[in-house]
Order: sequence, then structure tokens, then C-alpha cells
Amino acid sequence: MKTYIAQRLGIGLLTLLGMSIVIFGMLRLAPGDIVDILFSTGGYVNPVERLAIEKELGLDRPVWVQYVEWMRQILTGDLGKSYRYDLPAWEIIRPLIPVTLELAILSLIVSVALGVPLGVISAVRQDTPLDYVLRVFSLAGLSMPSFWLGMVIILGLVAWIGWIPPVTYVRPSENFWLHAVQFALPSLAVGYRSSALIMRITRSSLLEVMREDYIRTARAKGQSGSVVIWRHALQNAILPVVTVIGIEFAFLIGGLVVTETVFNLPGLARFLVEAILWRDYPIVQNLVMFIAIVVIVSNLVVDMLYGFLDPRVRYGH
Amino acid sequence: MRRSRIVAAALSALALLAVAASPSSAETPKSGGHLNLMQREDLSQGFAVHETSTIATSFPSLPCFNNLIVFDQTKRAETVENLVGELAEKWSWQDNYRNLVFFLRKNVKWHDGQPFTSKDVKFTFDMLREAPDAPAKLRINPRKDWYTNVEAIEAADPYTVVFRLKRPQPGLLVMLASGYTPIYAAHVNPAAYRTGCIGTGPFKMKEWRKGEFVDYVKNPDYFMKGRPYLDSLRYVVIKERGTRTAALQAGQLDVSFPGETTKTAAEQLKKAVPGLVITPVAQAVSDNIIMNTKKPPFDNLKVRLAVSYAIDRKALISAVHQGGAVPGASQQPKPYGVWGLLDKDLIALPGYGKVEDMKAQARKLLAEAGITPQHPLKVEMSTRAIAMYVDLASFVINELKQVGIEASLKQVETAQWHPMATRGEYQIGANLTGLGVDEPDANYYENYACGSPRNYSQYCSEEVMKLIEQQSQELNPQKRLALVSTLQKKVEADAARPLLDWRLDYFTVWPHVKGMVPHDNIYNFGRMADVWRDK
Repeated sequence: MKTYIAQRLGIGLLTLLGMSIVIFGMLRLAPGDIVDILFSTGGYVNPVERLAIEKELGLDRPVWVQYVEWMRQILTGDLGKSYRYDLPAWEIIRPLIPVTLELAILSLIVSVALGVPLGVISAVRQDTPLDYVLRVFSLAGLSMPSFWLGMVIILGLVAWIGWIPPVTYVRPSENFWLHAVQFALPSLAVGYRSSALIMRITRSSLLEVMREDYIRTARAKGQSGSVVIWRHALQNAILPVVTVIGIEFAFLIGGLVVTETVFNLPGLARFLVEAILWRDYPIVQNLVMFIAIVVIVSNLVVDMLYGFLDPRVRYGH
Repeated sequence: MRRSRIVAAALSALALLAVAASPSSAETPKSGGHLNLMQREDLSQGFAVHETSTIATSFPSLPCFNNLIVFDQTKRAETVENLVGELAEKWSWQDNYRNLVFFLRKNVKWHDGQPFTSKDVKFTFDMLREAPDAPAKLRINPRKDWYTNVEAIEAADPYTVVFRLKRPQPGLLVMLASGYTPIYAAHVNPAAYRTGCIGTGPFKMKEWRKGEFVDYVKNPDYFMKGRPYLDSLRYVVIKERGTRTAALQAGQLDVSFPGETTKTAAEQLKKAVPGLVITPVAQAVSDNIIMNTKKPPFDNLKVRLAVSYAIDRKALISAVHQGGAVPGASQQPKPYGVWGLLDKDLIALPGYGKVEDMKAQARKLLAEAGITPQHPLKVEMSTRAIAMYVDLASFVINELKQVGIEASLKQVETAQWHPMATRGEYQIGANLTGLGVDEPDANYYENYACGSPRNYSQYCSEEVMKLIEQQSQELNPQKRLALVSTLQKKVEADAARPLLDWRLDYFTVWPHVKGMVPHDNIYNFGRMADVWRDK
């Protein structure tokens, strides 16, 4: 087990190294840099002033020197300085992490709480009117982007009751209930879309398992329907669902851009897009690396979970 | 006795009428309270107003700073008559408009407690004009051209400053009143304004949470006794337009962002919340066409003029702005601006006559330039990849098609737009230009003078340069107006940068917001000292 985890972490480190090269290279390939943007806000360009700013920000150095410098900074725990805000990158990134993590976790809870039971009901009531209704419900969830749903919710609320959730981020320590209200709607919007996927995977996986011989045997032995479904069938059908949940979580960390924008939540994804537009390399590079770490760790956690959920899965051999 | 009663009754009636005619006089400002203001995007360079030309920085920075002089914040029109002193108590032109002397207020303190003196004024303007002995230098200096005529700044004593000019320039006074001309503290490194704000203004910056909001609290030491009325302000950053509008409608925001509310949005808001106070004002932002005059085909005046003739301004205003814009030449039209052309002059310009005649004239000019339906002109129309630019470019492309110019749309990312335009690496472009102040000097030296980095068309005319210089030093207002009028006609006749329209803003506040008077220029109001909350 330890060897397996060590191996996976080693592969993870190599992946991060590869990621660092890709993101560093991609950013430099994109047209323009922070100096162009700064001049854009002034509405002109001056070549002499341009060179001075490039020098000030270290952009005049060869690209490989900039890369090595970034790697050195990461290894020493210094993430550099934001070009745009002239502040340490970590100081800017740190407050964004809890916002996105909270939204992703709450959305995932909503999606699992909705997706798994509805998937089970849909599978158990296969081809009944209830199944059709639930399938339409899930198909609608897959078809509606969460940001669109979020916008519809906001516009609907303001039109009907003249109220929307707070547009300024409320910390839980400031006002817990307002904080909860602020996160409830985006979590529902994002969670609904994810639940649709989870529901469909749960349904198809469960239908497959329910045709297995051991399920028939369990029924023949006189076990009640619910025990057969929840203890025998679902336990065996859950592995693909766990995989999807892991993938969804990783996706949510970096994929909540528009939801964060629509609900005006100061999260990682929204800030990442802003930083890309500003070519704020230190912020973009470090945020992408953070997201890559979350993806690697969540994949590892899912793989570890397999061992707990299915005793047949063994590691290290 | 009876007669005196009649006189008294008449006087009372007059007094009542006067009160009724002036609603503000009936309302006594109340102190206290808080306002939330809309902020379209995060502050691009913090509070470093002198290093940017964007309202995203200037509007939320206004409460922190003061100018020497400013346009009266309680009046909408930005005229010389409406200039009032801020850090300067008085000012006077001397030596036949060669010296501009400011007499400063005493007992003004910076937000960190340091005293404000003439040293700060000298520091600011020496830095702006890049004087050889300036103690500080800006990273980016977009308005250096405004001060090329300033020969020296002298701090005669701690409360007197003299601007010595190379030649008379009456327009300088107006430029000093712009929201882009605050006074920086000499004891603060200009780079520090990118992350914080030490001003003398009515509000002190309390917190800037990046991407979220800027908080201000009342400056208890503000030099105007009894001001500001409000205790605090918050500029809430909301990137998504739909969310911004919903927040205003839901009452989470009290004040809209200047230049943000279109006519359609204003109509929808008014329908949803009839009590909202919506004031149509000019933005001082124009839609215009830039053409590279140094490269074919737009080095040919006939082709440039054909473009100008081809675009139906009225249709543009109706289709793209739903009526929320007005036609005008290179200075903001009357009654929004001081220098706008008279209607009779405007109608005579290329593109302002009868649509069919204008299109026919465009085809004729193109034919003279050798462009016919058999040999159509194919060009690339560049514009910024932002909806308001793309809408404009799409409309223009359709207009050009009708006279035989086939333009394909090229969307350019913001990072590339200004370098591309400054270097002249384009053929034709749909552009927006904001004027920091309604003053010909600020406009023509920036956008039409030979060699100016913002003269994107790279248009250069000796005659125009002469006119620019001439109007700049003309002391007689009527003569100057006539010169500016000639200048406007000349640059349109040369299709230097054909003007299409001037945008309007439908500035929106909740009815409890009092004393917030939007100007006909989005860059110069929002000091917030006179604003109060009636709730």
C-alpha cells in the first residue's frame, strides 16, 4: 500500500513538472503580456517605458531563466509577486481557495444527495412513468449549463421577489446564515448539473449489477428488496459512481468560472480567468499548479477508496 | 396696511414658488449612512490615477483625492463657469495668460496626517510633465501631452504655486479640473498608489479586497466643514453585467457605474422599479473609425471619405444604441459639450446628409479611386474583442458592404489592441475614444496631432497642427470657438478619424441617494463629498 502511494505520488510529481512546462510555455505563446495590458489601460504604447517595465518585472530575461526562477520560488515556498497587484501572489491566492473549495464541496454534496438516490429509484422503477420523469429531469440537468441556470435563478429572483443573494462575499465568521444563503443557490445550480451525470451513471451501473446472478440468489434467499438493492447491488455498482464523483470534484475546482462570476463569488476559477486576461503569469502559473495538485490528489483518493469499497481491489502487486 | 399685506402675500407666494422650483433647496442634507456603488471591474492599477486612462480606476479613486480645482460636483455642465476651488482657494491668470497662480488652502491634511503644501502640487505636476529635475517618475504617463506647454512649476511659498507657461493656454485650467488630475502626496512613492491611497479627499480608503470591493470611511479632518455627509462607501466589484443590473434592481447597490446603463437597460429598470432616478447624460465617449493613413488603401483620401460617407449615423444610433447616443463631430455635441458644431455645420459633413445621397457619394468616390463592383475593395476591420466594439464593427461592415467595400471582422484581444493600433498594424478599425475632459487641447493633441501615440490613424496635417496651436492659445472665447469649429470640420473633411456618434449614459440611483449629480462626462464626477442618504 505504501509503495503504491509512493509510486502514485512520484508519478504525480512528474505530472506536475510536465504541467509546469506546459502552462509556462502556453502562457508565453499567448499574444501580449502584462506590459501590453498596462499600456492598454493608458490607451497608448511607449517603447522606452515598455522596456523599463519589462525590466522591472523581470520579463526581459530569457524564458528559461524565468522558468528556473519560478521553479526555485516554488521549492522555497515563495510564489512570486502578482504583476497586476504588485503584491505577493500567495497573499492574493490564499483567500480564494476556501471559497472555491466550499462551493465545490457543497455542490458535490448536492449532486450526490440528489444523483445517487434518484439513480437508484430510476433503476429500480425501470421503464415506469417515474423512471421517465427522472430521466427527463437528469437530461435537463445535463443540457442546462450551470451558469445559465445561475443567471436564470438570479434574474427570476429579482423579477419575482426583488431579492438576490448578497453580491459581496460574506464570510462565515461575519454572518453564518447569510453566508449559507449566499452559497445555497450556486451549490444547487452546479450540484443539479453534476447530479444529472451521477444519476445516469448510478442508474446504468445499478441496472447492470441487478442482472447479476448473486442478486437473483439474494432475492431467492428471501432478502427484502431494499436490502438487496442498498446492501448488495449498490455496493457493487458504486465504483463507477465514485470515479465520476472524483472527476467532478477535480473539474469543479477549476471549472466554476462562470458560476463564480454570475454569483459574484471571489473564487479561484473567476480569478484565474481574470489573471489570464491580464497575463499575470505568477498568479496564473501558481493557480494552475494548485488545480493540478487537487486533480492528482483527488484521483489518488478515489483510487484509494476503491480498496475500501471493493475488497477485491488490492494495491502494491 | 392692506397694501403691505398684499406685498407680504406676494412675497410669500414667490418664496413658495422658488422652493417648489428648486427641490434640492427643500431638502436639508442629513449626515450619516452608507452607500454601495457599482464597480464594473476591479481597479486596474489600484489608485494610481496618473498611470491609467480607465474609469475603472478613476471613479472609485475620486473620493480619496482632491484636485487644485474641480468641476462643481453639484452641477451637471462642465464649463469654465462651473469650476470651483478644491485645494486651491483662488486662482488667477497673470502676465497675459503666461502664468497661472494658485493660492492654496491652509490646514489641509493628507490622510496620514502630513500637511498639504505647494510642495505636493509641484511634485505632482513635475512628475506628470516629466521635468528633468522631477523627484519621481511614473511607470506609465498617459497624459504627459496635457502639460507640454508648462515650462516650470514654482512653489513660491507653502501656499502659492505658479504654473509658468511657454505660451498662453486658457484650456489648461479645464484640464486641471479633470478626474484624471488629482494631487499626489510628495512624501508618498507614486508606486504606492497602485496598492493604497493617501489623499486629501473626503473619504479615506479603509480596505481594498482584490476583485471584491473597495471600502472608504469618512475623513474626519476633511477641509470642508460638515462634509462629507456619508459615513462610508463601498464600491462593489461585479464583473457580470446581468448580476450588476440585478444587484441595482434588488437594492444591494445604491448607485450605478458611470457609462454602464444603456437606454434599454434603463427602460427595463424603470419598469421594474419605478422609483429609480435615471438621468440621461453624455459619456464623453465617442464611436469612431480609425484608418491607417500611412498604408494603402486608406492613404487615399477618397477611400477614407467613402468610408465616412457610407456609414449612416442615424441608423447606427438606432440599431446599436437603441437611441442612446447622439451624432456629433470630434468635440462632444451641444448641449452636452461646450465646443460641439452647430447643426447646420454638422449636416454638411460627410455622412450626415440624406442616406441615399451619402451612399451614392461613397460609391462615386470609390469609383474615382478605381474601386468598382467588378474590383471590390477587400479589407480587414479590426476591433477589440469586447461586445460593445464588436457590435459597432459589425454594423459598420454591413454599411461598407452596401457601397462595395468587403470588410472581414478581426477581433483583437485587449492585450493586443493598443500595441497594434499604435504601431499602425491594421487597415481599418472600429474604435471608442473617451475624452477625460471637454477641452479641445486634450482632444486634438492626443488624437490628431502628428506623432501622438494615440493618433492611431497616424494622420498628420500641417494645417491641422497650425489650427490646433492657434486655438490652444486664443484668449477670446468666441474666436477660439470659431477656430475649434474650423478644426472639427477640417478633420472630418480629411476623414482623419470619422466620428460616428457620442454615447449617452442613463445614470441610475435609488431615490434615497441625494446630491449625486452625474456630469456630461463620466470621468469627472463622483467625489462624493456632497452626496447624502435620505433614509
